[in-house]
Amino acid sequence: MTRTPITLLPGAQLESRRIGPITQTDIVRFAGAGGDFNPLHHDPDYAIRAGLPGVISMGQMQAGMLAAWVSDLVHIEHLISYSVRFASPLRIGETIDLAGQVDSIDATTAIATLSLHAKSGDRVVITGVARVRITVSH
Amino acid sequence: MTSPTARQLPAGSVLDVVSFEVEAGKIREFATATHALDPVHTDTEASTAAGFTKLPATPTHVVVAGHHRNQQQFVRDLGLAIERVVVGSVEWHYTRPPAVGDRLTGTRRVVDDTTKDGKRGGTMRLVTLETEWTDSAGDRVLTQREVLIERGA
Repeated sequence: MTRTPITLLPGAQLESRRIGPITQTDIVRFAGAGGDFNPLHHDPDYAIRAGLPGVISMGQMQAGMLAAWVSDLVHIEHLISYSVRFASPLRIGETIDLAGQVDSIDATTAIATLSLHAKSGDRVVITGVARVRITVSH
Repeated sequence: MTSPTARQLPAGSVLDVVSFEVEAGKIREFATATHALDPVHTDTEASTAAGFTKLPATPTHVVVAGHHRNQQQFVRDLGLAIERVVVGSVEWHYTRPPAVGDRLTGTRRVVDDTTKDGKRGGTMRLVTLETEWTDSAGDRVLTQREVLIERGA
C-alpha cells in the first residue's frame, strides 16, 4: 500500500531542520558518496589559490540535504520535481537551517508548490522549489 | 591547440553517457551524507510497508554519476576552465524514484550555451546540460538539468 500524500495548507511553514556545524568530514563523506573529487572541496591550499577563503562544500551537498529534508516530509514517491539555485558558498564551521513554506496548491491536480531555502544565519546558501503530490483538505 | 570557443559543442550534442546499477550500499551512503532520515531508503521492512518493491533512492541520488564520469574530460570537452566553473542551478523532474537494482543510463546533452556580462565585470559563460535517465527497459526515470557558470578570466 502506497503512503497517502500528506495534507498541506497554503501558506503553511514546513517543519525546519538544522544541520551543522559542517565539518571537513561531512564534505569528504559527501565526496565519497557522490564522487565529486574537485580539490576545492578538500584541499585548502588549492581552494585559496583559486581565490576562496578556504575549502567550501559542493553545492550538491546542501542541495541533497535540502532535497532529503523535503522528501522526508512529503515522502519520496510524492516528489514530482525539485530545483535549486546556489546563492552563496557553504564553509566549514557553518550551520545551515533548512526551511520552507507552501506557496500554492492546485486543488484540481492535488499538487503543492513549496519554496525552500537553506540559510547560514541570515545568509541564503541555496534556494529551492519542490512540486509535490498532496492530499487536499476539504 | 584549440581555443575554448572553438571547443563549444552545438546545442543537442551528447556530452557523455554513463550507466550504473543503483546499489543499496550507495543509497545508504548518499542518504547518510545528505541526512535523509526516512527509513524507506535503508530498511527493507520500512520500504515494503510503504508500498515499495525495492528500496527507493533519495531525490538527488543520480549525483553519484560523479563516480562514473571523468570530470576533467567533460569540462575540457566543453572548453571550460575547471577552476572558474561553478554550478548555478540544478533541477530534477521525476517519473519515479530510482530503486535498488535499476540499471540507469544517463545521456547528457548540451541544451544551451550562452555568454552574459558578469556583475563584477568580465563575461560569464552559461552552459545548460540536460541528462535523461532511463532504466533498462528504456523508460524515463527522471530528467536532470544543470546550469554551469564559468566566471570570466
